[in-house]
Amino acid sequence: MFDKKLQVSLYRYNPEEDKFPYMKNYTINKPEKDIMVLDLLHLLKEEDQSISYRRSCREGVCGSDGMNINGKNGLACITPISSVVKRNKIELRPLPGLPVIRDLVVDMTEFYAQYEKIKPFLQNETTAPEQERLQSPEERDKLDGLYECILCACCSTSCPSFWWNPDKFVGPAALLQAYRFLADSRDLKTKERLEALSDPFSVYRCHGIMNCVSVCPKGLNPNKAIGEIKSMLHKNKKDIIVSDGV
Amino acid sequence: MKGSIIWNIQRYSSLIVLSYIFYVVTFVLRNELNFFSWSNFFLSFEIRFITTLVFLLIVTHAFIGLWTVGTDYLTNRTLGFLSKNLAGRADFLRYVFFSAFCLLGFVYLTAIFYIIWL
Repeated sequence: MFDKKLQVSLYRYNPEEDKFPYMKNYTINKPEKDIMVLDLLHLLKEEDQSISYRRSCREGVCGSDGMNINGKNGLACITPISSVVKRNKIELRPLPGLPVIRDLVVDMTEFYAQYEKIKPFLQNETTAPEQERLQSPEERDKLDGLYECILCACCSTSCPSFWWNPDKFVGPAALLQAYRFLADSRDLKTKERLEALSDPFSVYRCHGIMNCVSVCPKGLNPNKAIGEIKSMLHKNKKDIIVSDGV
Repeated sequence: MKGSIIWNIQRYSSLIVLSYIFYVVTFVLRNELNFFSWSNFFLSFEIRFITTLVFLLIVTHAFIGLWTVGTDYLTNRTLGFLSKNLAGRADFLRYVFFSAFCLLGFVYLTAIFYIIWL
């Protein structure tokens, strides 16, 4: 499938030693079978222990190893090198738009601040039933395509609007979660949630560029969720929520 | 101002401007076009009023677009990618940008009002 050698160009930056970030080239023996980008990083780390990156579950559930792979954001642990290698070369960079702590590790503070802003928890002040708050199958269906987000930040860091205004624009990941709670029949703070998103930046900085949809490793559609939030903001009614597979 | 109001102004203004263009083009295509027919067309108070409104909407539409561009690209963060000096002057540059557009919009509207009403 490949030549015998594989070239990996890796973004390197250690603020304690380097004045500026730089790209370092590594050449490794091509693995006999197709491996994931994360495995490739493990191979590199055997050669150079100073390489830093985040990883945890290595199966696309924790969302720790989001990075820019040959120009497109994705999860290293579920991206086979065969799907990204170009001319026997792979370029790995940190997620764009966020401050780099070291090598492929970025500071996610701005991303989490936006997530916190949308209050990602059910708000229902009515007396809780003995067992649980029930939903009809139809009400539950509305959450499909929303709750699966693993907050890897691949979408938000591929969004130019988030690059320019990470402090004001909520970003696709957090907006997907915002709609997850707006669409939840058990949540009773719809009006307050919409009010919090009604300024010109939080939602309306989304210009429908669709990078978020293109890169989401879980195949979700934040852009459609944002469209639903805009519809709700225009009508400010909970009953306009549609659930055709957001 | 609410984001939905700005969003609506921009969308509806573009639709109104588009309708106006269709209306004028239809007039041009359906009538023999000469100085008198064109003058008569614009002598009507309704047409002059609508034309004034349309040009106000064009300027408003453009301002919203440029405000978006300004608050995206003329910020401390974005200019910081180019140079620290520029980033330090981002607020000033943005106000200059908006002021220049406001001045241009004012001159544009003044000229339009003069042409249409005087």
